[in-house]
Amino acid sequence: MPEATEDRISRRNYLQFAGAAAAVGLAGCAGEDVDDLEDGDDVDPGDDDGIDDEENHLHITQTQNPTTLDPHDHRETTTDNIILQAYEFHFKRDLDGNLVDGLVTDWEIVDDDRYQIEIREGVSFHNGDELTPEDSAFSINRVVDADVGNLESPQRDQLAGVESAEVDDDGHVLIHTDGPNPMTFANLGSYCPVVEEDWIMDRDPEAIAEDMNGTGPYQLEEFVDGEYTDFTSFPDYWDGEAEIASLRIDASSESSTRINSLRAGEIDVATAVPPSDAGAIESDDDTYIADAPSTRILMLPMRYDVEPFTSQEFRQAMNYAIDFDSIIENVLSGFGDATAQPTLEGYFGHNPDLDPYPYDPERAEELVEESGFAGAEIELVVPAGRYLQSDEIAQACVGYIDDLDNVSCDIDLTDFGELTGILLDGDIETTPPFFLIGWGNTTFDAENNLLPWLTEGTSQYTFVDEELEDLILSARTEVDEDEREQLLMDACARANELAVFVFLNREYLIYGMNQRVDWDATPDEYTRAYEMSLR
Amino acid sequence: MSTYQFLIRRGLQGLLVIWGVITVVFLLRFMTPGSPVDFVAPLDASPELRAQIARNLGLDQPIYVQYAQYLGSLLQGDMGFSYIRGRPASGIIFLRLPATIELAVAATVVAIIFSIPLGVISATRRHEPADYAATGFSLVGISTPNFWLGIMLILLVSVGLGILPTSRRPIGLVPAMEMLIFQFETVGIQTWIRHMILPAITLGTYFTAMIVRLTRSGMLDQLGQPYVKAARAKGLPETLVTYKHALRNTMIPIITVLGLQLGTLIGGAVITEFVFNWPGLGTLIIDAINVRDWPIIQGALIVIGVGFVVINIVVDALYARLNPRVSLE
Repeated sequence: MPEATEDRISRRNYLQFAGAAAAVGLAGCAGEDVDDLEDGDDVDPGDDDGIDDEENHLHITQTQNPTTLDPHDHRETTTDNIILQAYEFHFKRDLDGNLVDGLVTDWEIVDDDRYQIEIREGVSFHNGDELTPEDSAFSINRVVDADVGNLESPQRDQLAGVESAEVDDDGHVLIHTDGPNPMTFANLGSYCPVVEEDWIMDRDPEAIAEDMNGTGPYQLEEFVDGEYTDFTSFPDYWDGEAEIASLRIDASSESSTRINSLRAGEIDVATAVPPSDAGAIESDDDTYIADAPSTRILMLPMRYDVEPFTSQEFRQAMNYAIDFDSIIENVLSGFGDATAQPTLEGYFGHNPDLDPYPYDPERAEELVEESGFAGAEIELVVPAGRYLQSDEIAQACVGYIDDLDNVSCDIDLTDFGELTGILLDGDIETTPPFFLIGWGNTTFDAENNLLPWLTEGTSQYTFVDEELEDLILSARTEVDEDEREQLLMDACARANELAVFVFLNREYLIYGMNQRVDWDATPDEYTRAYEMSLR
Repeated sequence: MSTYQFLIRRGLQGLLVIWGVITVVFLLRFMTPGSPVDFVAPLDASPELRAQIARNLGLDQPIYVQYAQYLGSLLQGDMGFSYIRGRPASGIIFLRLPATIELAVAATVVAIIFSIPLGVISATRRHEPADYAATGFSLVGISTPNFWLGIMLILLVSVGLGILPTSRRPIGLVPAMEMLIFQFETVGIQTWIRHMILPAITLGTYFTAMIVRLTRSGMLDQLGQPYVKAARAKGLPETLVTYKHALRNTMIPIITVLGLQLGTLIGGAVITEFVFNWPGLGTLIIDAINVRDWPIIQGALIVIGVGFVVINIVVDALYARLNPRVSLE
């Protein structure tokens, strides 16, 4: 039976196949000679670009990969974190968030609607071309003017009030605004990376989205969309070459994947570590936690035009009802600061005299009675899973409010995109009466916390009070620093008194770090490899 | 009907199915809350600017016009531009497709290697410890959620024992094979295998458990058939009776399920890709849904749908080949 013999799968044949499969598997498991690939992940034996030099290589894993490498065509922090390894803002900031010299070496207010900056000389782009004032002006115009740079930039609001920029006869960059705009320099320290005009104009949008040419400490080595971005240090960086020679940044949405990669020694930095996992990282000999208060505040805005939130007493009652110290301790494992105003400690305009509302459920019930809305049934709309433990925070808040004898509260978890859509459509009627939101502000100035939410006519305002609005709008055009700071502090005090939000917490940035990396985490959510060193 | 005619007929039917998929996927965007404009427009965008952006994205047109334009573009191989990335959706999708196919095929291979022998052993040693072990594994495998199994494997094998990587796909199969063939370097294929093992086991476990059950019940059925008794009566060795005769007939439904499941795996590897940071279509779709990047969502779902249809046609053809009693009619 020759046919039977050919087709036969005997026990011996099967064992041979299984043995071969196991051998291939074991070859994959065992080989010590491939271990070197795991960190650098460079499998090209002919590649000598240094990426696989583990001794001086850093691997960061964040939550999302970049959507583009065009520094002016996105709005995500995770994309910024990639871009800001290679591109730079006009100014640098110190650890306290103050503006310091960067690509700009001198700056002054010429008059109410003209602001002047002087661009550093001797700065090179990665392609070897020298940075010029024209490049600076072009970068600003590309963000604010849809007719410049073949781009309708989604970052236009980040340079609010700026109309255009030009280079004057002395080689200074003159920034024209629509009126007094004290935020002009602060915004250039947080937004609008500087690009080279010729490099941008010589390329189509697709090429700009996949390549980089900045003045920053790292130059692009390889970008694999959706997988990783590799950098090497730029030897001609104006502030001195980076200590770490090569860098890979990739992403994993799942926090356990990031943490396990860190604990297995595959990566050096894991961003956005959940507080509940911090203990496991700290207890591991090879890893530790680095944390910093972030630039994001969590809050529960209440629409001023919808009952029962029309009542100041009711809004204050919502603040008294919640034991936020307990939430910080039990939900956030201590990684959070209670807030008392719309802005954050350390910000220009923060009012240090304000304390968070204390937990006082009896007082809350009294205020509800005084408001005339006893028995109110309210619902908190929450963008599911959007912020650090925000679902759990929201559930705790709802629980505390629902525990009041005269208010009942439910939670409605919704999609962030859906909530964003109805928040930003410019129509307050579509905004939920009571919702959770996080607001990031990297300008370190209270105005960007107050203005969008508390002045009528913005795309997402939820509260209007004449006195409060006057204070905010006055601060917006006040160029005297002391006067302006007082106006912002008064606005914060007024917002606290009015209880415009239920003030929640300042979010913390929690990073899992390999012990070999030394770094002081910064509040701006960026993991700049230039600021890190290897032990 | 010849195989050629059969393939043409099924191909035409497949086209109808694909058209249905395209239509349903296209209509999904209008049933989903949230607009891509919210993710593209500046926060302070005026209603006029938002309308302008909607116009630029082609979202201001009536549905039937958008539908006709989309169908026309698809016929030219154009899936549109990603709203967020500003690049052709097809390029982004096809860059991710190999990772998903590799994972699905590897999971299927894992399933075939383990499930069929286990099923056969279970059937031929009925009510013995091996049978109980196999059916026990089958029950646990079917009941275990992918995300839990994946995380547990990572914790045990990668973090605990440190013998396999936790996640990622540093090299694809094709470049790894190119290195092997053209440079005689095994490092690429070793890396690929090391990174593939845990995701493939995670994705393939449910599949393995299901095929074990299918094989066992099929084998039990076949081993009771008269032709098996006749074969034994002729004096054929039991191994030959089992593998040559009974298993071959059991393979017919197994092949059908394998094919269908391969299609399901291509579309259903989302959780596994998520846990293992696998850069495939699943993670791409999740990211795109979060920002309402409809050209990516639509394109990826259509690619999955086409893959499913093609696999089904291949399975049908193979089915007829394996069992000549089944007419292509």
